[in-house]
Amino acid sequence: MVDFALNEDQEMFQTSTRQYLKSKGGLDIPRRYMDGEAHILQEMWHGLAQQGYLGVNVSERYGGLGQGSLSLVPILEEMGRAIIPGPYPETMAIAVPLLEAYGTEEQKEKYLPEIVDGKRKLTLALLESNGENSPENIQLAANEEDGEYTLHGTKVLVPHGDVADTLIVPVRTGGVHSEYGISLLLVDREDTNIEIQEQQSFEQTRKIAKIKFKETKVAKQQLLGPKNAGWGALQSAMNDLHVALCSTMVGGIDRVVEMANEYGQTRMQFGQPIGRFQAIKHRIVDMRMDLESSRSLTYYAAWALENNAEDMIEAIALARSFTSEAFVRTASENVQIHGGMGFTWEFDCHLFLKRARALENYLGSSDDCLEIAAGELGW
Amino acid sequence: MDFSYSTTEKAFQEELRAWLETNLPSGWLDGERKVPKDEKEKGIFLRDWQRKLYEGKWAGISWPKAYGGREASLIEQVIYEQEMVRVKAPPVLNIIGTAMIGPTLLQIGTEKQKDRYVQKIINGEEIWCQGYSEPNAGSDLAAIQTKAEKKGDRWVINGQKVWTSYAHYADQCFLLARTDNSGKKHNGITAFLVDMNQEGVETKPIRSIDDNPIFNEMFFNDAIAYDEDIVGEINEGWKTSLILLSHERVGVARRTFAIQKQFEELVDLAKTLQKNGRSLIKDPIVRQNLTRFRARSRALLMNYYRHLTNIIRTGRPGPEGSMDKMASSELAKEMYAYAMTISGSGNILWGDDAIVSADWQESYLRSFGFTIEGGTSEIQKNIIAERMLGLPKDVKY
Repeated sequence: MVDFALNEDQEMFQTSTRQYLKSKGGLDIPRRYMDGEAHILQEMWHGLAQQGYLGVNVSERYGGLGQGSLSLVPILEEMGRAIIPGPYPETMAIAVPLLEAYGTEEQKEKYLPEIVDGKRKLTLALLESNGENSPENIQLAANEEDGEYTLHGTKVLVPHGDVADTLIVPVRTGGVHSEYGISLLLVDREDTNIEIQEQQSFEQTRKIAKIKFKETKVAKQQLLGPKNAGWGALQSAMNDLHVALCSTMVGGIDRVVEMANEYGQTRMQFGQPIGRFQAIKHRIVDMRMDLESSRSLTYYAAWALENNAEDMIEAIALARSFTSEAFVRTASENVQIHGGMGFTWEFDCHLFLKRARALENYLGSSDDCLEIAAGELGW
Repeated sequence: MDFSYSTTEKAFQEELRAWLETNLPSGWLDGERKVPKDEKEKGIFLRDWQRKLYEGKWAGISWPKAYGGREASLIEQVIYEQEMVRVKAPPVLNIIGTAMIGPTLLQIGTEKQKDRYVQKIINGEEIWCQGYSEPNAGSDLAAIQTKAEKKGDRWVINGQKVWTSYAHYADQCFLLARTDNSGKKHNGITAFLVDMNQEGVETKPIRSIDDNPIFNEMFFNDAIAYDEDIVGEINEGWKTSLILLSHERVGVARRTFAIQKQFEELVDLAKTLQKNGRSLIKDPIVRQNLTRFRARSRALLMNYYRHLTNIIRTGRPGPEGSMDKMASSELAKEMYAYAMTISGSGNILWGDDAIVSADWQESYLRSFGFTIEGGTSEIQKNIIAERMLGLPKDVKY
């Protein structure tokens, strides 16, 4: 039976997440967070845990709901609609899949219940020097001696570096430039001496940091997945993250279309609502089309991921490239439709535009994704 | 979410495939698709094809079994379109009759009308056209001026129609004419079944941009119809035409599937064409443009499936059909345009002299009609804006 829609449970997730985030202030959450009220995020995170949203894709034996990637879709969409700060995508769509697939029993017992309870947020500290996502760029050295690793080097552009409790850090344990020799380490902030420097962010609700490791000691038990073969493990989890990012972007697109539509209906010019003019009206329809296509491609990518479909990599790459471009496009149009108001700090338009740009090149550009898809197609 | 077909649906698909294997014109599946160029021969060829479809019960699959149909489900109709695209089957000449007029007559026609017309629609004995558009009406369908006046027991019809597909083959016309001018323009229209083979009806082919006589002008000069030829009520033709449109259940399925296939053909073209001694698809710019088309054609298909799911759940088609129509016609147009762009200087050779298959050039020109016919993209955008987004109408109707 052809059935291409969220199921009832997933629709319920959508409604309840929207209600919850609204009750917490909706777009006031990112606003207050960017004004320096860091506790807002912490409060919201505990709320998310109470609602069960931090256990959706965690196995039941660790306190989660044991659902697949499709069940994250509605929650992430809602977070995207409200420009929610914090490492929800990274925690749920990098850390959880990696721990579930590669974690030792000890690691799972330590981390997964704490994720579910909202006690631990994780992020990925991947990029170095020039910010390029490639195995050659992993140069942070980790030397193993006496049951521990000693780390030397710097990671940059680490998202949510200010709030993450644990970093997943790809390090070099062997080789020089190749994929081989990269290992993943779970670095807990409470146990290590690292220097976190906040970097000024274009998108102020999504903070980024430079993290310096100097003689940082990490216990051997913190190795996540196979030694020296961490790159492959990371790439499989990266599929989850790309889908998660698509869903948050779809949520963002959904909201900007709604904003433009509301404004088109209420803003009067020349004695009538501006949405009566085809010049405005048709722009809004184009935005709505972008939303429709982004959502369809993302649903399909999430389905392909959950079912390990033959065309999974291609489906994800196409969704990511289309959705990233569509978010930038629609968020930009939204500013134009709001006119002078859209150009102000006070109106919300800029929050979405900046989020769109912040995600556009996050761990791969649209062109990179197109090349991945082309490769999958054998071109 | 589920993308698989049920056992019954699969059986339906296999039955159709097997039937096509043995019944398509010889050589068809191997790519020798020869439809006669000559319009008269083409008419005979297409009538024969529809007769064959009818005999195999593949002419009007959603029709009641009693009239030679299969009472196919919505998904089966979608599968049908998909399979027909897959083999690039010849078109159904009486598509307007089988898809819309037959089902409408079965729904609201009189017993006499059913007896007289329905069987001959599905077996292709009488071909139908739709007399809708007029020179000055365009997208404003309700602005029609063709008049039908009651004189004694007859309705006398005068006026001109345009852009009528299949009129040069047609035996019958489903005609909208103005029967009352006194009220609002949506009122006062009546739907008639008009015999094309009478004095007073004249058709003139319009040579289109791609050099094919697909459309016609139709002139009605004291043409005659009777009360028994009215479908629905007098002055309620607008309602009748909405009922007619509601039979278009699978919407743009064919175009949606066709685009998937055309995309593959575009990729093949890029693989075949050479530049600097290598296949054009190895050029990163070309490759990325093609991947963008790939994303959009996939989006089109996935949107279609989502809209279909919605139709299955709610039982009725929504305004999403306008999105599919607009997006598919715009995308098809852009894909053909891109084929022209990458074809190199040889793309200006036409017909038998063409280096790159002339299909691309014909399709390119033909595709300019896609965003006009059946409601322009601009009209579709108005429908989406007003019915899906609740934006105000831009003019007072």
